[in-house]
Amino acid sequence: MKDRQVKILERAIVREKAARKAAEQILEEKSRELYFKSQELEELNKRLELLVREKTTQLKGVFENIVDAYVVMNLMGDVLKMNEAAENLLGYTIEDSINLMQMVHPQEQEKVVAGFATLLEDGAVTDFQVKIVIADKSERLVHINASLIYDESNSPIAAQGIVRDITELKNLENQKERLLLKLEKSNEELQEYAHIVSHDLKSPLRSIDALVSWIKEDNKGKLDAASEQNLSLIQTTLEKMELLISDVLNYSSVAADNNIAEQVDLNSLVSDLIPILFVPEHIEIKVMHKLPTVLGDKTKLQQVFQNLISNGIKFNDKEKGFVEIDVLDLESHYRFSIKDNGIGIEPKFQDKVFKIFNTLNKREDSTGIGLSIVKKIVSLHEGDIWIDSTPGIGATFFFTLKK
Amino acid sequence: MKSLNILLIEDDAIEVMKLKRVCNSFGHKHKIIEANNGEDALQLLEQKDNLPDIILLDLNMPKINGVEFLKILKGDNRLQYIPTIILTTSNNQKDLLECYKAGIAGYVLKPLKYEHYIEKIEKLLAYWSMIELIKA
Repeated sequence: MKDRQVKILERAIVREKAARKAAEQILEEKSRELYFKSQELEELNKRLELLVREKTTQLKGVFENIVDAYVVMNLMGDVLKMNEAAENLLGYTIEDSINLMQMVHPQEQEKVVAGFATLLEDGAVTDFQVKIVIADKSERLVHINASLIYDESNSPIAAQGIVRDITELKNLENQKERLLLKLEKSNEELQEYAHIVSHDLKSPLRSIDALVSWIKEDNKGKLDAASEQNLSLIQTTLEKMELLISDVLNYSSVAADNNIAEQVDLNSLVSDLIPILFVPEHIEIKVMHKLPTVLGDKTKLQQVFQNLISNGIKFNDKEKGFVEIDVLDLESHYRFSIKDNGIGIEPKFQDKVFKIFNTLNKREDSTGIGLSIVKKIVSLHEGDIWIDSTPGIGATFFFTLKK
Repeated sequence: MKSLNILLIEDDAIEVMKLKRVCNSFGHKHKIIEANNGEDALQLLEQKDNLPDIILLDLNMPKINGVEFLKILKGDNRLQYIPTIILTTSNNQKDLLECYKAGIAGYVLKPLKYEHYIEKIEKLLAYWSMIELIKA
């Protein structure tokens, strides 16, 4: 071998060695990388596995702990899975291998077939109510929300549904409706009753008045003055009795009547009202500001103003009396005031006057019901009523009406 | 003033006395026929040659009540033309609407005081004695 050849070979070997070393180094690096990667992957796998396990446990928890019944069935309606709530509700276990149609009430078969068709078409059904027959043959009304389950190629393989027993709920609802109807009816009856009673109570009064009139008429000049006066007192008492009956009827009508809610122009209501009230010459009635229009029952609101203004007139003992009607615009309400300069009401009586049959002054023309009617009407209109008064100086009745 | 043939349908004896007394005290020649309830009244109305000019009807009565009586009356070919005036204590909207639906000539609220009763009945009778009545 020639020297040159040897040298070439030696160089080649050196190059080869260097190349191998480089390759080995790369290999080592790569394998290290690979090791780390696989390590990483393993880690990731473990984490994924954990996650899957966690999700599965979670799902299982939901499945088992959900209060509502949860049912999975295949597209033929065969039940594949049920949670405990479902087993409790239906009375079947998964071993009974039941079919949906087995449980549907005979009258509801068509409805369920249609519902299932909707489910297949739309992928979900919500608020589906149906009567079913459970294992013990009793009937239940259930509420169902259902949706389809798909495989990876997106074709439906099963249906899942949340079933809620609303039998009791429906019963309660029906019961509530029945009670409401009954209440309405008994209210009507009460109203009817009040009318009949008032009629029956008034008839004898009328008869007594006629009879007393005849005694007076037939014995004209024959009765002494005292007897004449006593007979007249009987008649006055009868009038008072009649007023009492009318007022009691009015009071019971306030809540019983169906309330008509309409826009009521209080300004024209009050200005129409004043001329029909009996106002003595020495008393002046003033409306201080234009009154608003409110939503309410016109007849009843008129009764409020009539009663309060009449009271202001009735209990006025001053030489120059007044009754002032005013209004203040509050945020959600109007506050009305009826102010007089009459006899006033002592503080200790200020709440009492609104209670039925509490009249502070014995008068022929007052029964002690007027203000309780007023309070009842104001409450019906979601308002409040109170008094501000200094005895001897006057009284102001405040009341609010909802806007 | 023409004298009227009045059929008073009323179960209360004193109410009957009241109307009679008013009619007598003013020297009217109105004739009052009494019936204590709707059934009796319908029997009286069978006599076709002696029909009243007007009917005064109390609403609250035993047996056939006022509204039922009205419906029978207004369903009869002959009797339906007799003006019927309701005498009542109650101004129960529901009852009155029903009366007007059946067909009444009006209603009078019975006042408490006898003197007011006299006034009302006086005017009522004066009005109906002036009105020309048709008969079937």
